[in-house]
Amino acid sequence: MLRAEIDGLNIELEEKTSILDAAKKANINIPTLCYEDGLSIYGGCRLCVVEIEGEDLLKPACATKIEAGMKIKTHSKKVRDLRKNLFELIIATHNIDCQLNCLTCSRASNCELKDIAEDIGLSKMRLDPIKRGDSIDNSSYSIVREPEKCISCNRCIRKCEEVQGIGIFTTANRGPETVVTTFKDRGMGNVECTNCGQCILSCPTGALHELYQKDSVLDILNDESKHVVVQTAPAVRVAISESFSNQAGDISTGQLVTALKRLGFDAVFDTNFAADLTIMEEGTELINRIKSGDRLPLFTSCSPGWIKFIEHFYPEHLDNLSTAKSPQQMFGAVAKSYYAKEAGIAPDDIIVVSVMPCTAKKFESKREEMAGDVDYVLTTRELASIIKSAGIDFLNLEESEYDDLLGVSSGAADIFGTTGGVMEAALRTASELITGEELEKIEFENVRGLEGIKKTEVVIGDLKLRAAVANGLGNARKVMEMIKDGEEFDFIEFMACPGGCMGGGGQPISSDKNVLEKRQQAIYEIDNNKKMRKSHKNPYIKKLYDDYLEKPGSEIAHKLLHTKYKARKI
Amino acid sequence: MIQEKLYLKGDKLLDISNYEFKSIKNALRIGREKTIQKVKDSALKGRGGAGFPTGIKWEMAADIEGKEKFVVCNADEGEPGTFKDRYLLEERPLKVLEGIMLAAYAVGADKAYIYIRGEYSKAIEVFSEIIEAAREKNILDDNLFNSNFKLELKLVRGAGAYVCGDETSLINSIEGKRGRSRIKPPYPIEKGLFNQPTVVNNVESLCCTAEVLNPESDDFSELGIEGSRGTKLLCLSGDLNNPGLYEVEFGQITLAEIIYDLGGGINGNKDLRFVIPGGISTAVIKADDLDFPYSYQAFEKRGSSLGSGAVIAVSKKHDLLDVMLNVSRFYMDETCGTCFPCREGNRQINKILKAFKEEDRKIDTELIADIGNTIRLAARCGLGQSSLNFITSVIKNYGKELKFGGKIYA
Amino acid sequence: MEKIKSLFYQDSLLEKLHEIQSTYGYIPETEIDNLSEKYQLSRANVYGVISFYSMFYTEPTGKYIIRICDSISCHLNESDSVLKAVKSYLDLKSHQTTEDKKFTLEVVECLGHCGEGPVMMVNNKIFTKINKNRALEILNDCM
Repeated sequence: MLRAEIDGLNIELEEKTSILDAAKKANINIPTLCYEDGLSIYGGCRLCVVEIEGEDLLKPACATKIEAGMKIKTHSKKVRDLRKNLFELIIATHNIDCQLNCLTCSRASNCELKDIAEDIGLSKMRLDPIKRGDSIDNSSYSIVREPEKCISCNRCIRKCEEVQGIGIFTTANRGPETVVTTFKDRGMGNVECTNCGQCILSCPTGALHELYQKDSVLDILNDESKHVVVQTAPAVRVAISESFSNQAGDISTGQLVTALKRLGFDAVFDTNFAADLTIMEEGTELINRIKSGDRLPLFTSCSPGWIKFIEHFYPEHLDNLSTAKSPQQMFGAVAKSYYAKEAGIAPDDIIVVSVMPCTAKKFESKREEMAGDVDYVLTTRELASIIKSAGIDFLNLEESEYDDLLGVSSGAADIFGTTGGVMEAALRTASELITGEELEKIEFENVRGLEGIKKTEVVIGDLKLRAAVANGLGNARKVMEMIKDGEEFDFIEFMACPGGCMGGGGQPISSDKNVLEKRQQAIYEIDNNKKMRKSHKNPYIKKLYDDYLEKPGSEIAHKLLHTKYKARKI
Repeated sequence: MIQEKLYLKGDKLLDISNYEFKSIKNALRIGREKTIQKVKDSALKGRGGAGFPTGIKWEMAADIEGKEKFVVCNADEGEPGTFKDRYLLEERPLKVLEGIMLAAYAVGADKAYIYIRGEYSKAIEVFSEIIEAAREKNILDDNLFNSNFKLELKLVRGAGAYVCGDETSLINSIEGKRGRSRIKPPYPIEKGLFNQPTVVNNVESLCCTAEVLNPESDDFSELGIEGSRGTKLLCLSGDLNNPGLYEVEFGQITLAEIIYDLGGGINGNKDLRFVIPGGISTAVIKADDLDFPYSYQAFEKRGSSLGSGAVIAVSKKHDLLDVMLNVSRFYMDETCGTCFPCREGNRQINKILKAFKEEDRKIDTELIADIGNTIRLAARCGLGQSSLNFITSVIKNYGKELKFGGKIYA
Repeated sequence: MEKIKSLFYQDSLLEKLHEIQSTYGYIPETEIDNLSEKYQLSRANVYGVISFYSMFYTEPTGKYIIRICDSISCHLNESDSVLKAVKSYLDLKSHQTTEDKKFTLEVVECLGHCGEGPVMMVNNKIFTKINKNRALEILNDCM
């Protein structure tokens, strides 16, 4: 038992944690900026410094281990005064001037600098902002970087390197020239960035945000000559209410649909429908590859961050990828062919807008292999912003249903939003297609959970399917190295974002430590409450094949629903 | 006439076939523990600027269990005014080599690095040749001096960053990283180079240990006074008639004698204003306060520090603001850029001083004091923590002459 | 038990960069790619290391890199008049290279010859006790 004193309180700890964690246990919040759970300790911002009795210099709470007998003061006058002075130095690098910078910033409502200023009681600012004259990085289709707002907290660097295993950012130069940047300032779109957007989730300021398409979507909604349809990803409905309520894990499907109808979309459909479609195509592909033994293991292909990752780093394995497009892209292709026919609208007049938890989907929509499928991609955050600007009181809306034709889906589609979901959805269908029998239990618990890599063997009739699930690109890389070392698999689900799509780079930025668990719980709850829980039981999917696509893997299915990949240099 | 006490300074020691390696042979003879004890008994303090007792550092490192241990000789001498290590590397590298061997033997390391700053091309050339010659003559690698002592030594060149003289930045640099500091604890002797126990010693310190372990004489260890034992290499520069390298015995010479006798007094027709005693990370000593014996404790008593031994004389002919801006620019450019207090604080101080100079703007001394305090209390490493010592002491002592508005910093 | 070779035996990245710098006068991108591969570091990471150190360049430099110290001891001995003369003669600011790619000028901090200042380095060679005339003479001697 370790005994110490923090702010006059006697505390007892079982293990030697950091002073920061020990303080939390005693319900004392020490302000931090460069510290982030899950990333290595940087110890650079120095906001978390505390006074330790017997020492003149202050020590960082995040990096200092608590010792027996330590007497710590986290908010003495010496510390509080220092934090305020230090914060003036930090703010001076953030280049706020009175050009309405704060008000027009992407983080106007959840900027960590604002929160800290309030927490420490900042009352004066004696320094002029430093204008470095760095221009905005617009080189990427998915993410925009505003260096003038960057305070060099280094979180994006660590997130990209340590969690995603890529490392496109670095600290360059030293002294007053120290900056966070990409390789030789080339810009995110010109290096091996996968567009996953995890850096946006780590950034405390508005220095990183998605490439906005809000205005384009609002403009197109006003264009009477166009028939604008919208699709919503599975992970959006368990997260979008956070932008209004700050409460994680609420299901708001019905309100989401109502809001979209009110915004004026001509049809409100569901990406989930296309997820069921993806299972049909990919499930068939899996069965064929297992029969032939060719190109195994099969890799899922619905995560565009993962796709760009493998194109850059493991191009020799592109053949393992499923040729099936992602649900977003399949939806677009079907909307502009099948739906156009059914609704009697010229395909050229149809505009497809998708709402995604994902920033990489913006890049995916612009891939030349799939040009024209999807016209605009909004992140969950962007949609929330549009809803607010339309004066819609989201939380109090009555619920509505998706439009039928491309809007009905199974529970298997809903679980696409979490890591392990695509695998489980595929197994539900593949099992029944292979054995010809109904599953007794449709939940596959072995592939559930937030662990980075899950490996399991699934018995389907005579077949022993060696499956793996990886979420987060750092884990994807580990699995690829396992394969290179000779480990054998049959089917692997890869998601670029930790937690899968529900943790995507386009989701509301949450301060709730358990946000992923809560969103995941909501997703499985939706699945549990649905009567129809298997993709191949979806009557509208059956109708789509009967009326238009013939069967999975048909020539027309190949033309509309499958794609190619390309090797990219690093 | 003031005499130097010459132990570290002396004839060139470049020819390995004529060098007897008496001290390391002595150490091998008396054993590890007694070697460390001798250094402890000499009360030798690190000569790089931090002043940590070398014997205690070696003892702590020797006691730590590790898969492998490293010794690193810090030859990244970059403190303005300092050139003693360059002298030792260029003219007496064999003594440096011997010091490295002593450190390695004492702590139980069989691998060592010497990190020489990239601009010291002559020192690099000389020392590379020494390493090569030593390997040829089996004075490095295995079974040295007919014992089972082994030591491999590698030279790594620095590349133009003052901060790499800080021990944790140096370790990061050897590992091929940006030279940013590491947070202590853990200290390098527990987790240093490649996460292994590592002892980092300054060039001069290592040469001193070779004197301490000299089997033919105990003189060196008995020099000096309590709290400051042995000799110190002084680097005299600035407005002096006889700048250069001198060696003095602690406590036996006053700072005044250093300036006016050894240093030959102030050149030009203006009097001395102040002395910067140990490089620009130290507070100034005013001209009317030089009559005290040169020692670690005398400077600490005056709120300053002996530092690296770089004694810089500044006469009244120089504009104080210009001198402060020079020092401010140094820290602003050399900060590793990792922590906010040091990076932003030094940049803002520079900006404030410049504004005062170029626009005659009134200086908010409270603001400078706040920034200085922030840097001192919260910076990540020694460079940062001491970066405002000089400027703070100038404002404190000469604020009126700078015509500051508002409160004089106290 | 598998014996893992000590990292001591790995080529130091700093030494590799020195070799490349002295071969090409800067660190070309192809070399950065090689280093990235060899040390299993992202290219951004290698760039971050190179850009930290003043002696490494990512763009070609002049045939002669002129380093003039302006730290306190040299400054007290009028290094700034040497600097002014050299800057005017070469028409360069610090970190700049002449158009004919002959000279790159760097105003640097302490070079460790403080008792013999002002000090100027031309590539690897040190010149001490220089004044503005001597400095220009040295530049003229550079072929």
